[in-house]
Amino acid sequence: MASTPPSSNPQDSGLAYRDNNENSILDPRQLEALGRTAYTTASQLISAHEPITSEHYRNALNSMHRSLRRPALQRSVFSFAQANPAQLLRQNFNVTEIEHRALTYLPDSLLKQVPESNSGFSLLDGFKASLPEADDDSGSEGRRRRKHGRHNSRGRRLLEDEKGPPQLRDLKRSKGRLDHRLEMMGIRKTMCSAEIKEIDAKIANLSTMRSVVLDRLAGLEQEEHDLEQEIMEMAEKVEDMQEQADEEEARSSVTNEDAGSVKREDEDGEPPGFMSASIYEKLPKEPSSLPSSTKGKRRKPTGYRKTSMPVLHEHLDSGSRIREMQAHNDIITALDFDAPFGTLVTAAMDDTVRVWDLNAGRCMGMLEGHLSSVRCLQVEDNLVATGSMDASIRLWDLSQAEYNPNQGTSINAKPSASSEDDESDALFTPTTSSANGEEIGEYAASASTENCHLFTLESHVDSVTALHFRGNTLVSGSADKTLRQWDLERGRCVQTLDVLWAAAQASTINPAQNAGAKTPTGAESAGTGGGWWKPAAGRVMNAEADFVGALQVFDAALAAGTADGVVRLWDLRSGMVHRSLVGHTGPVTSLQFDDVYLVTGSRDRSIRIWDLRTGGIYDAFAYDAPISSMQFDARRIAAAAGEDVVKVYDKTDGRQWDCGAGVLADDQTTPKPSIVEKVRIKDGYLVEGRRDGVVGVWSC
Amino acid sequence: MGNEKLPYAADAESPLKPAELQVLRSQYEKEGEYVSLQTKFNYAWGLIKSTNRPDQQLGVQLLSEIFRASPDRRRECLYYLALGNYKLGNYGEARRYNDSLLDLEGGNLQAQSLRQLIDEKVAKDGMIGMAIAGGVAVAAGVLGSLAIGAARRKR
Repeated sequence: MASTPPSSNPQDSGLAYRDNNENSILDPRQLEALGRTAYTTASQLISAHEPITSEHYRNALNSMHRSLRRPALQRSVFSFAQANPAQLLRQNFNVTEIEHRALTYLPDSLLKQVPESNSGFSLLDGFKASLPEADDDSGSEGRRRRKHGRHNSRGRRLLEDEKGPPQLRDLKRSKGRLDHRLEMMGIRKTMCSAEIKEIDAKIANLSTMRSVVLDRLAGLEQEEHDLEQEIMEMAEKVEDMQEQADEEEARSSVTNEDAGSVKREDEDGEPPGFMSASIYEKLPKEPSSLPSSTKGKRRKPTGYRKTSMPVLHEHLDSGSRIREMQAHNDIITALDFDAPFGTLVTAAMDDTVRVWDLNAGRCMGMLEGHLSSVRCLQVEDNLVATGSMDASIRLWDLSQAEYNPNQGTSINAKPSASSEDDESDALFTPTTSSANGEEIGEYAASASTENCHLFTLESHVDSVTALHFRGNTLVSGSADKTLRQWDLERGRCVQTLDVLWAAAQASTINPAQNAGAKTPTGAESAGTGGGWWKPAAGRVMNAEADFVGALQVFDAALAAGTADGVVRLWDLRSGMVHRSLVGHTGPVTSLQFDDVYLVTGSRDRSIRIWDLRTGGIYDAFAYDAPISSMQFDARRIAAAAGEDVVKVYDKTDGRQWDCGAGVLADDQTTPKPSIVEKVRIKDGYLVEGRRDGVVGVWSC
Repeated sequence: MGNEKLPYAADAESPLKPAELQVLRSQYEKEGEYVSLQTKFNYAWGLIKSTNRPDQQLGVQLLSEIFRASPDRRRECLYYLALGNYKLGNYGEARRYNDSLLDLEGGNLQAQSLRQLIDEKVAKDGMIGMAIAGGVAVAAGVLGSLAIGAARRKR
């Protein structure tokens, strides 16, 4: 802001001019030079044409030149701090300047929409508050403020404080400093809350966007699924046509051949259903050694299963219901599914085992054969293993099921007594009507899954209460107090592990370890084992508790949790227990391990997380009722603890929350949701089975 | 808007220390796409206070973004935009913003003083313009009369 200082001395003012206009583009010398040039040029012109008569022109130019040389005039014309001719030119003709103007131009319509601000602090306050505070508080900000000396109450106050004794002054100054800091704190606080509000608004905006995209994703996934079904149908048709053509060809070439070959052909052409369970028992060969032609035909659909990965559930809000179905009319005793939106198998006290298409929410059929109710089952890809109270284990191949989820035409549909297909669902509407679907479901139950049975493992002498398989190794635990290891390739029992013997060995070799499992009272339970056998806790040791509550196998490693509350880690190569995890005071009902942790749930109401490397407790927490079932995935531990909700523990943030019908239900809901008995979780896709036979599917 | 809450134009002439500006800049860059309004403003104001012209331009640009994005802050922004444009020498824009602020808040002292400053500047600009125009006119007159004189002499 260079104003013209009064000056009489040209030299002085010339200097002052230079000082004041350091950033001015034009130098006074340049101006003088310009003036001189103009003068010379003009005088040249004039002298060339009219040296004598145009004296007055020369005079005029001379006077102009003189006046230009006078610094005062120079200043008044050209001395502007911020705006000199060069700048004017630049503003109007420089590309970046024009660009900048275009970028920053605000239309008049916007200028009119200027509402009253209602925020608690001004932007300048915020600016002051967020500048780094210098140690000498009245530092940068304050000093500058005082220098300008305008509208700064603190600055004025400090000036007033200059009077008085120095100590008082110092004190007052430091008080002022603190006051200022307090003020700044207030502003910072308001800033923070304003920022939070701002973020909240952004989040709200984002979540609406998210829900829109989620809807889109749901639509796409449904479409994808439909397409896949279509492809599958097409492939089957192609297959059939091809086979027919092949057969025609073969028949025409075979007519002249002998009877033997015809007979063989008949055998090959037999319906796959002919292969009954008994044959497989007699012929304990691996499933893949089935007659090749039959296998080729029956296995064909497998290639088209699950070419796409459903991801929708991962994006749904935690705890939102995906599906709910009345799967059975009795207590669910076991359930498992292969993958999110894949195939679910449920077993209930009503002695039935049902297969469900989780995507469509419809029953694909029943697995019939067990003489009593199924207590444990596992689904892995197309392979299902079920362990029953009838002491047998059956293996099923679901790829043999003739199931078409999109179309329900059946020729000899049997009318059935119990039709339990419940298709109350918000997100996914099955393509068939529910009335039709019920009949199909029942028809499918009898017809489409009858070929699924692979073979039966019968060696246990009491009900099978736990099983797990991985690869070709299946291990089962039974109420006969043994664990059996099976070779699925050969369908034979390869090892029997006597839990009681192992426990007795452990107690003799290392009595101290076993003592840990004893209850403080040391109450002995009658008849469960030998005299050494002590139940972990008398109050929970009842008839309901399975002797082998849970087990999991991985290669040669086996973990089994038993009714005494001990989790034993076995080495299947030696058949020995190499570690016992003692801690639960009630029967272990569920167990799962990954590469680092072993998680167990027990009837003593607690979930324990063990560190497999040290064998020590890593974490533990308890619920209000005995844990009847538990499984974890990468993030969550889901447990059924005698409530109408599934208890979920989020491992990443340590949050405990409830998921299930009980959360949504209020007092008006009738009937009240039943107690969750079994729970399974995979990749945030949770399936729970309740006492009233309802199966709920949730995302979490 | 209280008058206490806006800086006077003089405040815009005192640049921040490079370190201070760097703090504001790094905060602005750290928050990335979801930068908060205050951080953006802090950086913009720091830039406008600077003596570096590209910095000032960026500051004005950020301010205009804030103006578009948050109606709640528009009044304040108007003033800062006027101030920024004033510093840049875009008096037309500066006056436009400042006047629309004065339409809303006639009693805003800061805006009033800024209007005065702008008026002064524009008056000077006018003088320059007149001086240039006058100079051109004189030169043209001289040349013209020379030409006429020459023509007359030839005759």
